[in-house]
Order: sequence, then structure tokens, then C-alpha cells
Amino acid sequence: MELNTYQQEAFNYQRPNIEKFEKRNWIWIIFFLLWIIVGVYALYLQISKGHIVTGMRDNVVWGLFIVNFIFFIGLSYAGAIIAGLLHLFKVSWGKPIIRLAQIMTVISVIVGPIFILLCVGRFDRLHHLFIYPRLQSPMTWDVLSILTYFVGSVLFLYMALIKDFAVYRDAKMNVPKWRQKLYSILAIGYRGAASQKRHLIISQNLLAIIMIPLAIIVSSILSWIFGMTLRPGWHSTIFGPYFVLGALHSGVGALIVAMWTYRKMYKLENYFTDKHFTNLGYAMLVLAAGYGYFTFSEYFTSWFGSAKWDNDVINKLFNPAEYGWWTLLANLAGIVIPISIVAIPKTRTPNWITIAAFIMVMGLWVKRYLIIVPTLETPALPMQDTRIEYVKYSATWPEWALTFAGIATFLLFFTLISKFVTVVPVSELDEVSHKHHVNPETVIVNNEAVQPA
Amino acid sequence: MKEFSTLATYTKIFRKAYLLAGLLLLLCIPGILFAQTDSTKTEAKSEIEEPSLIAPSVDFISVQKSDKTIDLKAGLKAKIKGTFTQLPLLKITFRLLTDTEQQPLGFVITDQQGKAVLNVKVDSLKTDKEGKLHFKAMFAGNKSMDPADEEVTIKRARIEIVPQKEDSLLTVKIKLIDEGTGAEVPVPEIAVGIFVKRLFGPLKVAEGTTDSTGQASVEIPNNLPGDTKGNITLLAKVDENELYGNIEATVIQPWGTFVSDKLNELPRALWSPHPPLWMLITFAILMTVVWGHYLVIIIQLFRLRKEEPHTPIPVTKS
Repeated sequence: MELNTYQQEAFNYQRPNIEKFEKRNWIWIIFFLLWIIVGVYALYLQISKGHIVTGMRDNVVWGLFIVNFIFFIGLSYAGAIIAGLLHLFKVSWGKPIIRLAQIMTVISVIVGPIFILLCVGRFDRLHHLFIYPRLQSPMTWDVLSILTYFVGSVLFLYMALIKDFAVYRDAKMNVPKWRQKLYSILAIGYRGAASQKRHLIISQNLLAIIMIPLAIIVSSILSWIFGMTLRPGWHSTIFGPYFVLGALHSGVGALIVAMWTYRKMYKLENYFTDKHFTNLGYAMLVLAAGYGYFTFSEYFTSWFGSAKWDNDVINKLFNPAEYGWWTLLANLAGIVIPISIVAIPKTRTPNWITIAAFIMVMGLWVKRYLIIVPTLETPALPMQDTRIEYVKYSATWPEWALTFAGIATFLLFFTLISKFVTVVPVSELDEVSHKHHVNPETVIVNNEAVQPA
Repeated sequence: MKEFSTLATYTKIFRKAYLLAGLLLLLCIPGILFAQTDSTKTEAKSEIEEPSLIAPSVDFISVQKSDKTIDLKAGLKAKIKGTFTQLPLLKITFRLLTDTEQQPLGFVITDQQGKAVLNVKVDSLKTDKEGKLHFKAMFAGNKSMDPADEEVTIKRARIEIVPQKEDSLLTVKIKLIDEGTGAEVPVPEIAVGIFVKRLFGPLKVAEGTTDSTGQASVEIPNNLPGDTKGNITLLAKVDENELYGNIEATVIQPWGTFVSDKLNELPRALWSPHPPLWMLITFAILMTVVWGHYLVIIIQLFRLRKEEPHTPIPVTKS
């Protein structure tokens, strides 16, 4: 595989990151594994004692697990849309971050559905979804669409990696033999011949075209699980676009945080530049404004309509004795803070934008909780033999343990994948995109970036 | 300069210590989580272990039927952990109490709902001087439960139903007769409900009160769905009367509308097993488009593999 100067430079710079496994990497992995072990213990309790160990009961049948599912799957959709748009419109500055978006897409679509499995009470009947599917059920749509989407996102990431696999294969890297062999297999004989390039470009463009509408449709289907029911707070026509926008918003935030972390960890300032943070910051600002508009529209319509059950949910959401403070926090963190930080030129720096993005992502997690739980706590019909402890949801420690185990798995995958492939795509960089990023004051000495004294 | 380097060293040490403390704290979190398990659980157990017998109660009613039998219905329940629980698989003994003795009638094991029903023939039962019957339902108790019993006293009576049809007008004439003393005495001023048996329970269709001759006449709707032959089962009931308890009589009449027992072919709809056609087509198109794309892409990848050039290619410098 032939590389131009810029690509060679990027490869040499990142090469140690995938060749060496440092102490701090081990520490992180052990730390994440510890969390996962706690989660496995909680799962053992949940399987042996049943869902009674969770806070979910007859009324509130969905809790933290579904919150996490929507959160992670949202990140995934956003990753696919961002990567698809950047690829399709050939945005030159976006090339270094496409891979990160694609990695986020695949990891999230693996971690998200795990939470669905944790939420299923009768695990032994899971296969019934495939044996006796009802095509009219949004649940069936969701299962099929997520499976379809999963295959697409894996293909999307893989195709973007083929050229780099060929680079790793030809570079004879200092890695174990099995890894060298794996790189060779995954490169599927790519040598950079004109016909090979053509096949790859056709495939990538085709997939980018299909992934954007697919992510939008799949995200809408997820929202319809809620929107198609007649429950107050869920039965809304704007739920589809609201979910798409929410997913994009949180996804951009997560991408900024991931970019910042890798930039610090692997000193990738030359590739994840201030421009990337500013541009994604602008995207976050626009999405926050759009998300704010949708949120206002949703609450305002419900409140003004004053339908009995809608009113109950709105009162719950805005009553400080119930979810009032959480609603305020979610909207401040998810809408006001990102807009304010990006809007003020002084705070429009990578660090501030990352802080805003991190707070926003947390805020949107809380928002997902506020979508699910208060509605379930407001049953539209009076239930027989219901008890107060069934109506009020409070997450238990196994649910929290499994939540953190999920987050740990997400981060563990990120750590491991950055040790297998370069975070910045080597073979995709070109002169134009590279020129944008090189800090004129940085010089490359012996394959290491050195800041001038 | 020296000062600066000392400061820098301190800052470095401080940063490292800060990082280490943070890491330690994070590592402690699993331990903290484990500590969340309820350590007071064993104490709570010891409190529960103190032996205390469950005190059940018996709900007991009788139903006099038109076939000269009486259903003795008993239900066994107890308050366990604050909620009433029906007690299944326990023995309920029924007895007839006379002035001198307790005549055993039989026993029934309670079902899953804690109910036990014994049907007894009226003719074999001895009444007291006033013509009343005294029944007793007893639960003898066991290792974990106290014994319980309940009595019920009734006077014998029966309902007669005479269905009449004039044109499209359906009428039911009811007569309530006291049989306690041997002679047949009409019972006035008693409310009698007319029901039609449905799948899950009786449906009330009319109500009447007996006059001085013990009779009442009520109209029945003529559009009630019947069975495959158009039959409906009419049920006349006196509920929980102080003197007579419950009295019932049934009669089958071909007064209902004909209902086919054959399954109708279900249309394509959201609620039927067959999805609407437009939904099926949309789904098929969407899936074909997406998976078709995947297929094309995979074929392209195979072609890419086949076209691997055999000429020497430049190798990346390492």
C-alpha cells in the first residue's frame, strides 16, 4: 500500500499507540473489568432471584435499563449520521474524526441492546420474538431494525478500515503474529489498485447513502415504541424527530468528549484540532437550540391542552417535590449550558466545549429518564390491587451496578479498539485535510511530535 | 528559576497525588456498592422466625336451588403480611346442626381460590321447630394455622320461573314460595333479580319485587345473543336474604339470537394476526432495499479481493 507523505507521517505518529500496551492501559482495563465484575454479580442476583431485585414493578415496568438502552442506541445513530454526512459530502476537515464516529456507532449498538436483554423478564422466551413476530408491533420493528442497523454499522466501519488494515499489514509492525495475520485477513488483499479503489469507493458511498436514512428510520422506530402507545407524555406526533434530534445532540457531545480524551491520551493535537472542537461545538449549539425548541413545544402543547393524564405527567415533571429539579437540571445541562458556552467566544475552546459536551450528555441521560419513568408512574387507567410501592419507581443497586458495568464495557471497547487500529484514519488523510490540522509550530522529529520550546 | 522548578516539582507531585487519590477512590466504588447489601437482613429474619399461628377466617353462604338441593359455599382466607390471601388445598368440613346433634354432611378440599362447595339434597335434612336449617363450615386448623368455623341459618324456599312469550314481548313470571313449614306459603316484598348466563358470569337484565301473592312479572330484552341454537339460560336470584339466604332457579329458553360458533376469517388489521397489506409491502420494500444494498456491498468486497494485483507493490517504510 502506497502512502503519501502526510499519510506516512500520520501512520508513523500513531504507530506506537497500537504497538505498545502501556501500564496506564492495563490500569484502565482492570478498572473497567472490576466494574463489569460487579455488574456480573448484580446480573447473577437478578437471574437467581428474579426482577424483584430491581425497582421495576407492575406499573413502572421500564427503568434504568431502558434509559441506558435509549441513551446508547442514540449515540450510535448519531455516530452513523455524522460519519455518513462527513463521508458523503467529502468534508475534508472531517476526515480525522470519521473513524471515531464510526467506532462510537458500532460500540454503542453493541452495548445498547444488552440493556434490553437485561430488562427481559422471561429470557427463555426471547426467541419467540423471531418465531412468532407480529409485524404490527413496534417491538418487532425495533428488533428487526436494530439488527439491520447493526450489520450496516459494522460494515460501514469495516470498509473504512480496509485501507488501514492494508497499511498495517504492509508495515510489518511490531505486534504478535496472530494480529499481523488478522490484519492481513481483514485487508482482503487490498493493494491500492485502481479497480480495487473503485470497488471500495462504490461500496462506501452506497453504504453512506443508506446509513443516514437508516439511522433516522431506526431512531424514529425506537421513539414509536413510546409514541404509538396512548400513554400521557409519550403519545406525541413529534416523538420521531424529537428522538432523532436528541440522539444527534447527545452523539455530537459524546464524540467531542471522545475526541478530547484521545487527543490528551495519544497527543493527537495535530489531528483533532481546535477547529474540530469549534465546528462540532457549532453543531452542538444548533442541535441544542433545535432540541430546546422541540422540548418546549412538547411540554407547552401538553400543558396548554390540559388533558387529565397529560396534566398529571406535566405536574410531576415540574413539581419540585417530584421531578421538578431534575427537569430543570436536564434542560439547563442539555440546552442552556452548551448554547451559552459555544456562543461566548472566550469559552469557545476545546476544554470548555468538552466540559459543555460532557454536561450535556449527562443532561440528556437524565432527560431519557424523565421521558420514561414519570409517564409509567402515571397509569392512564386505575389498576386493580396496585400498591404504592408499585407506582413509584426507585432504581436499586443492581440496576445501578449494571448501568455502570454497561458504561465500563463501552469505555473498555473504546480502549481496546484504539489498541487495534489507529484512531485517526491513516489512509484517508490527504494534503488538504492535513494542511488544516498541522500546527505550524509543531515539528516531527523521529516520528514524534515535539512542541517548540 | 530555582523557585520555579521547585514549584513545578510540587505541582507535579500534587498532580500525581491527586490522580492517585482519584484512582483509589474509583477503585473503592465496587466495594462501596457491595456494602449496599442489606446487612440488617439476618436480624429481620430472626424476628420473623418467632412462631405465630396464622388466623384464618371462613366465609360461608348457602344457595337454595330449584332442583331441591342446596350449595354450601365456603371460602377460606387469612391476612398474611397485611394482605388477604386465599388458602388453597385445605379441608373444610360441613355439618348440619340440629337441636340435639351435629350431623356431618361431608368435606371438601379448597381449590386454588380457597373455595369449597358442597351440594346437599334438601329432603334428607332435618329442620328445627321453626322450619330452619343450621349449617356449619369448619376448618380444623393445622401446625401453622388456627381452627376456624362459620355458621349459617336459612329457611327453605324456592323460586319458580314461568317464561311467557306474546308476540315479540318476552316476560318472565316469578313466584317465591316458603317451604319451611311443609306448606307452600307465598313470600311478598322480596326483590328478585333476573340474569342471563354469559361467558364469565351472569348479566343482570331485569329486577322485580314480589307482590302479596309472592309473584312478580318482568320483561326481558329480545335481542340477547344466545348460543348456536339461540338458547339463553335465564337465572332468577334472591341475594343474601336475612331469612332465606341465597335462592336461585334457572330455565333455558330459545329467546336469544343465533350466534355462530364458527370462527370468522380475520381481516388484515392491526389487531388481527395478519398485518395490513400496506404495512407488509412497506416492510418488504424497506428490508429489501437495505439488505439489497448490503448484498451489493459484500459482492463488491469479494470482487475487490479477487482483483488483488500480482505485480510487486511498493511497501510502506516502517
